[in-house]
Amino acid sequence: MAYVSMGEAHRRITDYLNRFSDAVSYQDGSSLKRLLAVSSDSPSLLSLSDALNVFQDASRLIKQFDKYSQFGEILVPLFRSLQNYRLGHLVESYQSFEKSSNAFIQEFRNWESAWALDALYVIAYEIRVLAERADRELASMGKIPEKLKGAGSFLMKVFGVLAGKGPKRVGALYVTCQLFKIYFKLGTVHLCRSVIRSIETARIFDFEEFPVRDKVTYMYYTGRLEVFNENFPAADHKLSYALTYCNPRSEANIRMILKYLIPVKLSIGILPEISLLEKYNLVEYSNVIQAMRRGDLRLLRQALQEHEDQFLRSGVYLVLEKLELQVYQRLIKKIYIIQKQKDPSKAHQIKLEVIVKALKWLEMDMDVDEVECIMSILIYKNLMKGYFAHKSKVVVLSKQDPFPKLNGKPVNS
Amino acid sequence: MQTSADTRGSERGKFTAPRTRFRLLRLGFLKDVSEMMNQGGSTDTITSLEPNPLEKRQVVDPSQGYTSYYTSSIDNGVLFNSTYQQDQRAEHPTRNVQDGSSVPSLASTSSSGAVIIVAISSNLINNTLSLWEHIKTQTSGGYASGGYNNQSQQTHSWNDGNYTSYASHQYPNPNYPTDPNGAYNASAATSTSLQYQQHYNKQWADYYSQTEVSCAPGTENISVTSTSNPLCPIPVTSGYPASISQPPAPYIPPWRPDSSSSELPSVQTGAVTSSNHDGYWNNGAQVQTHNVCAQPPQYQTPNPTYQSFQDQHKSASSQGPNVQYPATHQVPQSYPSSLQTVPQNVPPLDSRRVSQLQIPTNPRIASNFALGFPPTNRDSSTSSAAAKPAYVSVSLPKLNDKALSNDNADSTYKPGMFPKSLVGYVERALARCKDDTQKASCQAVLKEVITKATADGTLNTRDWDIEPLFQLPSVDVTNKDLQSSTPTSLLSKTKRSPSRRTKSRWEPMSEMKPVDKPAPVALHTGNYGGWLHSSGSDKKLSGVKLESKEGGLSGVKFSLADQRATNKSAMKPVKRQRLGDSVDAVDNGDASSDSDKEHSLTQYYSGAITLANSPEERKRRENRSKRFEKRQGNRPENNHFRPKNVGAGSLYARRASALVLSKNFDDGASRAVEDIDWDALTVRGTCQEIEKRYLRLTSAPDPATVRPEEVLEKALLMVQNSQKNYLYKCDQLKSIRQDLTVQHIRNELTVKVYETHARFAIEVGDLAEYNQCQSQLQTLYAEGIKGCHMEFSAYNLLCVILHSNNHRDLLSAMSRLSLETKKDEAVKHALAVRAAVTSGNYVLFFRLYKTAPNLNTCLMDLYVEKMRYAAVRSMSRSYRPTVPVSYIAQVLGFANGLPTAEISTEKYPYVLEECVEWLKAHGACLVADNAGEMQLDTKTSSSTLYMPEPEDAVAHGDASFGDLALGGGAVDVALAVHARPLPYIISLVFVVEEERKRNISAPVCTILC
Repeated sequence: MAYVSMGEAHRRITDYLNRFSDAVSYQDGSSLKRLLAVSSDSPSLLSLSDALNVFQDASRLIKQFDKYSQFGEILVPLFRSLQNYRLGHLVESYQSFEKSSNAFIQEFRNWESAWALDALYVIAYEIRVLAERADRELASMGKIPEKLKGAGSFLMKVFGVLAGKGPKRVGALYVTCQLFKIYFKLGTVHLCRSVIRSIETARIFDFEEFPVRDKVTYMYYTGRLEVFNENFPAADHKLSYALTYCNPRSEANIRMILKYLIPVKLSIGILPEISLLEKYNLVEYSNVIQAMRRGDLRLLRQALQEHEDQFLRSGVYLVLEKLELQVYQRLIKKIYIIQKQKDPSKAHQIKLEVIVKALKWLEMDMDVDEVECIMSILIYKNLMKGYFAHKSKVVVLSKQDPFPKLNGKPVNS
Repeated sequence: MQTSADTRGSERGKFTAPRTRFRLLRLGFLKDVSEMMNQGGSTDTITSLEPNPLEKRQVVDPSQGYTSYYTSSIDNGVLFNSTYQQDQRAEHPTRNVQDGSSVPSLASTSSSGAVIIVAISSNLINNTLSLWEHIKTQTSGGYASGGYNNQSQQTHSWNDGNYTSYASHQYPNPNYPTDPNGAYNASAATSTSLQYQQHYNKQWADYYSQTEVSCAPGTENISVTSTSNPLCPIPVTSGYPASISQPPAPYIPPWRPDSSSSELPSVQTGAVTSSNHDGYWNNGAQVQTHNVCAQPPQYQTPNPTYQSFQDQHKSASSQGPNVQYPATHQVPQSYPSSLQTVPQNVPPLDSRRVSQLQIPTNPRIASNFALGFPPTNRDSSTSSAAAKPAYVSVSLPKLNDKALSNDNADSTYKPGMFPKSLVGYVERALARCKDDTQKASCQAVLKEVITKATADGTLNTRDWDIEPLFQLPSVDVTNKDLQSSTPTSLLSKTKRSPSRRTKSRWEPMSEMKPVDKPAPVALHTGNYGGWLHSSGSDKKLSGVKLESKEGGLSGVKFSLADQRATNKSAMKPVKRQRLGDSVDAVDNGDASSDSDKEHSLTQYYSGAITLANSPEERKRRENRSKRFEKRQGNRPENNHFRPKNVGAGSLYARRASALVLSKNFDDGASRAVEDIDWDALTVRGTCQEIEKRYLRLTSAPDPATVRPEEVLEKALLMVQNSQKNYLYKCDQLKSIRQDLTVQHIRNELTVKVYETHARFAIEVGDLAEYNQCQSQLQTLYAEGIKGCHMEFSAYNLLCVILHSNNHRDLLSAMSRLSLETKKDEAVKHALAVRAAVTSGNYVLFFRLYKTAPNLNTCLMDLYVEKMRYAAVRSMSRSYRPTVPVSYIAQVLGFANGLPTAEISTEKYPYVLEECVEWLKAHGACLVADNAGEMQLDTKTSSSTLYMPEPEDAVAHGDASFGDLALGGGAVDVALAVHARPLPYIISLVFVVEEERKRNISAPVCTILC
């Protein structure tokens, strides 16, 4: 830490205080937000933190002048937060920042126009990021990480401030997205529901009114929720929306969307180009897709096993696992095609033993009963038209469209 | 036509009342069916033609070891069919006629094992329904007379219709379907019972010839009835022995007046016919009685359904199922009343309760009739006054009185005698019942409550509106009181209850189902025992039931059996509630004071805990009560100070007993609860007793009652080796857990305790308790304390997969598994189960079910029902035309408990039978193929399958647990008395049952043990 003289420190602090009061009095949201971004590591804030660590009595400075002291409740804890952040005491930093933010919310409530919305975004963002870091610190100290949870409830409060009739309401979706991030991180996605409900049902909100960036984020997260629920049509819709409106230059975001969109599309029978996977570095899906094209059950299982951890963490494992039925369908279809080439008149009757044999070749050790069960499920789920004759152990396929395509519809369940 | 070829047909009845399990198919008889069903193909066609595919059933006379069996099916609360069959000789024509048959394709010969199969289509039933609605709106008729009249006519006409075909000796389907309403009326008999007696055969023979004569007038009758008066869908037909030595004449007079004047001529014809053919009329009359009797239990108690049913009658509002319900009963109700008028007919009628078995007619019917239908009766009496007014008006009041005076138990149920609030209370109590079994037991409890209240004299003073409802008991709990605990009765009781609980491991389907099914049999034998010349074979069949009945609890049981059947439709809307738990629950119902409860609890435990009355125990109890005294003693003091600082007062009250803090009293005021150093309250126990009952702490722990670690260890050991029931163990483990918690002991002992508890909980399917333990275990494992981590990860996985069905939970549970964990056998198994469940691979699932390590089976048990249902649905959609039931039984893991995975249905035929039962209970449509093998008719079944009860579908831990461990009070009682391990008792039950029923020898029984 560079040495800062007392006078220099004093100068920096008063400078900051001036800029803060100016930003508020001129209702300059963009400059205000820079003053609040604790974790942004901007040079001016860093130098301020240094100064604060030298000049210990900043609160006296604030109290000296009326124009500062009216924001004392914001500024005093904010300074403490900056100080601690600089020193790496993240838990304290978070705690002070939350206090400061609370005071800021009080002020924000009184400002009728939405000029400070940008600043509020920063606060919402900061509170989440600081909480995450604080939790990491707590966890490393062996304590219970609970700050992110606290941040969640704080943001709910912020959401409440924004969810009104006024112009501030467009900020609600940003806060919602921050909440999503917290809930997904905490694994308490069920809490999303209440926010989603108010966004989607409250009359004050018009979804189109929100900023695009928030809409994309929102759609991404709600799409993921639908993936969890295995509600594929809805997931497809939401994730596709996110993909369409996502900034094409932010490839990381597109990749994140595709990570969920691809399994969703697969499960409604739409396979992507391999080039897409390559472009966005989603090669973990390539074997899955290959298996679906080939009807190669073994390959699918291998692919799932290989990336099991990854798929489990992202939450698509179960979705991908369900592709198995489509792979079976493909396999039977192949047998059917081969039979048709040999003898078109008998092609629609597939002996069970043939299927068992095919599976043997794939090193799938399944006996007749199990394969029979699979056939039953395939027919039941309408992946195969026809019926199974138990006595003769034959799958009798419908002569018309024996393997209906999913065409964007999910497998019947 | 040929004698062997004539048997064909199907009985069909839509199963809306899954609770009624029917034991129709017995092993041997399957073969018979197969022989006789050579023309099964035609059955198929019938089936497929039917708009409403219904269940088919065949009943064949088993010429081998079967004594008799009984079939009944319920459709929408209508008691359809009661076939009561007695094995006389191979040649006795055995018949099972199903009601509401539109296409009664009758074919029968008097030679060996004839079968009559009647195909019924449900639209017929609907038809009868609507007819009834019609009747109901007609106020003129009056049920008593009109209904009865109908009945007689119907009996007549129906028989005529059938026997016409007999006479002609052609066996086409009589052309009922083509007939308009008239035909329906003829075939709309809802319930049929056939009795074949040796000497009766002759009568049949006579009858056949006679019918040719009587046929013509009979048919006329049909037309008359159908036009003038819609028929009631009621009992009909049967061969009934003329064992009651009443001449037919007495029957006829009541009939005649019954008929409304317009129909008088036709009835006359009937009378003439009957007098000509004594046998026939005798039969007819008897049959009717018989049928009437078949229904009594419905009227035993005024449950809400019944009351509402009454209301409906009065208001003449008619809604589908409800209408149907009355429809069946009205006539029977009116019938006994008519019987009453003829004194020599039914001498014992007024003197006994149904439970006394020997009564041909149930006074309850009469009483209810009287209660329920006074207005109607008045109507009818006026309307039929022209014919014979005396009959109704005289008999009714008498009946009423008798019903009131005769039966103490019943008298408690008479509405009107009680304050309105009590009636409301009873209604509320009964409305909670989710099934009839429960209702029956509930009624028993109510009875107790009311009797008690009467005894106390508080009946009228108590405010029933605010009276807390007792917890729903199980049947057995109530039975307990009624019965001496002889082993037999105990067992029989025990068996009866668990029918609800299909999920437990302790209740392999094959063993439990029989429990349910014989109920109807028992009912019948019970009712007819006296006059039905109950043969030895008869008794044997109903074996246990009869015995227990003699033990005196029949009232409850009857209603059990029958209400299940009849109330079904009315019951449906009633929301299912969790079963009440235990004996304690019942005691709670009395709203007894604390001390009462304590007392009863002690009583309850005294059976199980032999130590309960030991001096130490007494002393401890005294200590405990002293503790309370002490606290109470403090209270006034607190109150005294309260004005000054309330917070302190309550705080003090909280802690007073354990820590004498009186000197801190004042500074306590300034301390918030959170600021109290609870760690300072950590106690070092000094109690040396190994056994301790769990008592929820209401104050800080007293070191004198807390056991130190060494003692707890011994206590755990004691519980682990205990032969006592789960309740006891649960209680002990809870107290151990409590002692551990208050002493802040978190080590391997703690883990062991929780693990032990969790295992016990899994064993009995107590998911709630299991979840508590599991979450504790997770934190304990996370703290690095060693235990059976793997085993419990597997349980956790299974639990998430099978019961929470939350994809996210599942994902997180899976991602938490370490590589090492995944290699564990149990975890691997759990993962495989998960794969099977997600893919719907039922074959794999049931294979894993049979090879499950540890207690994985128990958790899977709770999912079996769901899996089976999904499997059968899928099968019925994908297989054509049929699937052999034997295959289904094999693939869907029926025959659990059998040693080998590959079971042969030849060797264990009851496995097949069990599967058949299950399929039927789920609305599947079964047919027999040419070779006589039972087949699932997939096409028909695909539209009729249903999940019988939400309870079965929802793997709700405590619900299912409650059934057996707590709700299954009889089990408890049995356990408490015998203090044996649960599995042992239950297996004992099975053994007895099995041996009785199936003559299965020891091996199977030992497996069950």
